Amino acid sequence: MAAAAPLDTTIGVITPENIAFEYQLAGPFRRLPAYLIDFAVRWFVVIAVWLALAIAGGLMSFLSSFSGPLSQAFFMIGIFAINWFYGTIFEAYFNGRTIGKWMCGIRVIQVDGRPITPRSALLRNLLRVADLAPAASLSMFDPELPPQLVIPSGIVGLVTMMMTQRMQRMGDLAAGTMVIVDERKWQLPVAKVDDARVPALASFIPGDYLITRKMARTLATYAERRHFMTPPRRREVARKLTDPLIERFEFRKDIDPDLLLYSLYYKTFLADSATESPDLGPLSGYSPLAKDADKVGGLADETIREMAQSVPVVTDPAATVETVSEAKE
Amino acid sequence: MNVAKLLEKRRTDWSELEQLCEAMELRGRTDSLGAKHRGARGITRFASLYRAACADLALADAYQLPPNTVTYLHRLVARAHNQLYRTQSASPVGWFRILFEEAPQRIFNDGCVRVATIVFFGLFAMAMIMGAAEDQFPLFAENVCGSEMLKKTEASFLEPLNVAPQEYSARAAFYISHNTGIGLQCFAWGILLVPCLYTLAYNAVVLGATFGYMSRDGIDGADHFFEFVTAHGPFELTAIALSAAGGMRLGLGLFQTHGLSRVDSMRQAGRDAVPVMAASAAMFVLAAFTEGFLSPSSAPYLVKVAWSITSSSLITLYFVVLGFPRQGSTDRSLVRTARYSDLVQSRETEAGRSAGAT
Repeated sequence: MAAAAPLDTTIGVITPENIAFEYQLAGPFRRLPAYLIDFAVRWFVVIAVWLALAIAGGLMSFLSSFSGPLSQAFFMIGIFAINWFYGTIFEAYFNGRTIGKWMCGIRVIQVDGRPITPRSALLRNLLRVADLAPAASLSMFDPELPPQLVIPSGIVGLVTMMMTQRMQRMGDLAAGTMVIVDERKWQLPVAKVDDARVPALASFIPGDYLITRKMARTLATYAERRHFMTPPRRREVARKLTDPLIERFEFRKDIDPDLLLYSLYYKTFLADSATESPDLGPLSGYSPLAKDADKVGGLADETIREMAQSVPVVTDPAATVETVSEAKE
Repeated sequence: MNVAKLLEKRRTDWSELEQLCEAMELRGRTDSLGAKHRGARGITRFASLYRAACADLALADAYQLPPNTVTYLHRLVARAHNQLYRTQSASPVGWFRILFEEAPQRIFNDGCVRVATIVFFGLFAMAMIMGAAEDQFPLFAENVCGSEMLKKTEASFLEPLNVAPQEYSARAAFYISHNTGIGLQCFAWGILLVPCLYTLAYNAVVLGATFGYMSRDGIDGADHFFEFVTAHGPFELTAIALSAAGGMRLGLGLFQTHGLSRVDSMRQAGRDAVPVMAASAAMFVLAAFTEGFLSPSSAPYLVKVAWSITSSSLITLYFVVLGFPRQGSTDRSLVRTARYSDLVQSRETEAGRSAGAT
């Protein structure tokens, strides 16, 4: 497993329905902003509570002499509770997210994929103190500053994150939790084929050619990324795969490799398995086969390409693949 | 084989599931999607859509779906999974069970509690004796605590204890946040083991030296000092030892694995340490209330002593009576172990019974 596993940050989870799906782990660079946001929110709340109590205390002081110390007491307990249990309460009641995690799109779950339990949330938030160790004193940099001013360096947490498979800090290890990327928006991409030459060429691919799984995956990846490349680059990438295929299919040597890969993709994913011949339109009667090379035309011919482009349904070849996103509608 | 048509067919279901997820993420319910998804019907629809998406993901390889679509399905299933299996919120009953059932059992059985108690009270007694014995160990207490600190402590107890009642709540709040904070910090340091032991030993020695210094002859505030510490002493000192014990349990999980893998052992230790820490935090809060309301008051010394004895016996009851090992409560594992002889015996009796029946 360790040798074959890709060097990646995805982690597999098997659900009670016995379905395996994947999560992407969140590393330190996604978690630090979340922590900083939480820190800011915590102090914002503390200051807001202080202001509210100061105003309320000012009003109440006319009524009773108890209110001053009492509001002070509430304030102190409030600070204590917010500083120690902010993360616990949010993660336990907000489905594994604090405000910072929610804004950064990450979430805490148990290592077995179940949601975090309040006990785990408590433990991992208490142990943050140890993860932020050792504290660096600011007086190291400037002897003028008082030694009480310290900033936590977080080296313990960083080192454990780097050394564990699931990028867990100490608190995560003890609580059995991990932080994952929780993407909220995404789109369902489907490649559309608008080039009339593609079905034409696909109809010449021999029926006994079986496309393996690996080949299918390669074709899909190629079709998805194809429109990011310039035509010469496409040909260069595709040539490695198509040269043996042209031999095998007995096609003409000068056929466009990009077009061949694309029609293979069309045949694999988009064409109906029913053997109806595609409507070739003006392209009918042409053949890419090597034995027909002496006949007029062929798909690699310039004249044919021009003809294909003059057909109204055919769009610009550079934009033949469009990533259509209609997931939200 | 035609993936485009398949996707077209499934896409409506997927986007409906997505909308349901969105509604559940925002509100925790599916009502906002219209009358068709209100209440139980929405939940049923969500569950069936989730199962369908799971099935699609499982068959993705067989359908030879493009990798992008598989990624999309992974995320969709993960998102729905997060909504279906939400966090079980903590019930008060659960915390009650942790505090009054699990914690005493753990504390009674945990070797770390014994070690932490011996370290804390041993060092405390040693420092107190050394601090009190001015002739044998001159300047011990001064070196540990600093003579300024000791003078300050002495000066603050010169007057009889009589804090105005309106100050009580603020004092209690301060002790809650300060002392419980130290306890929680001590617990958290436990995962690195050494800082936890250091905090424990430091507190023991400083407290012991202060006590020793105050018990010397000729210290003016001594009577008031001991009157002050009597009431909350039992809760507070036990709580310090307990929080360190919880921390040590965490840290030991890394070394003492009991045959588990190191990560699993740490998780197990973490599970075990939480009840101990919860008990310790509860004791810190109780101690803080005592320290805030009873200790500084001008109540007669007898009341404070009575409360001290009561709290000590409550702690003893908690540890011994609730903590005494009971059948069934400590072992929640579904896998039962049995001795071989028991199995043979039960088989024999069963065989005998069936023989008698025929």
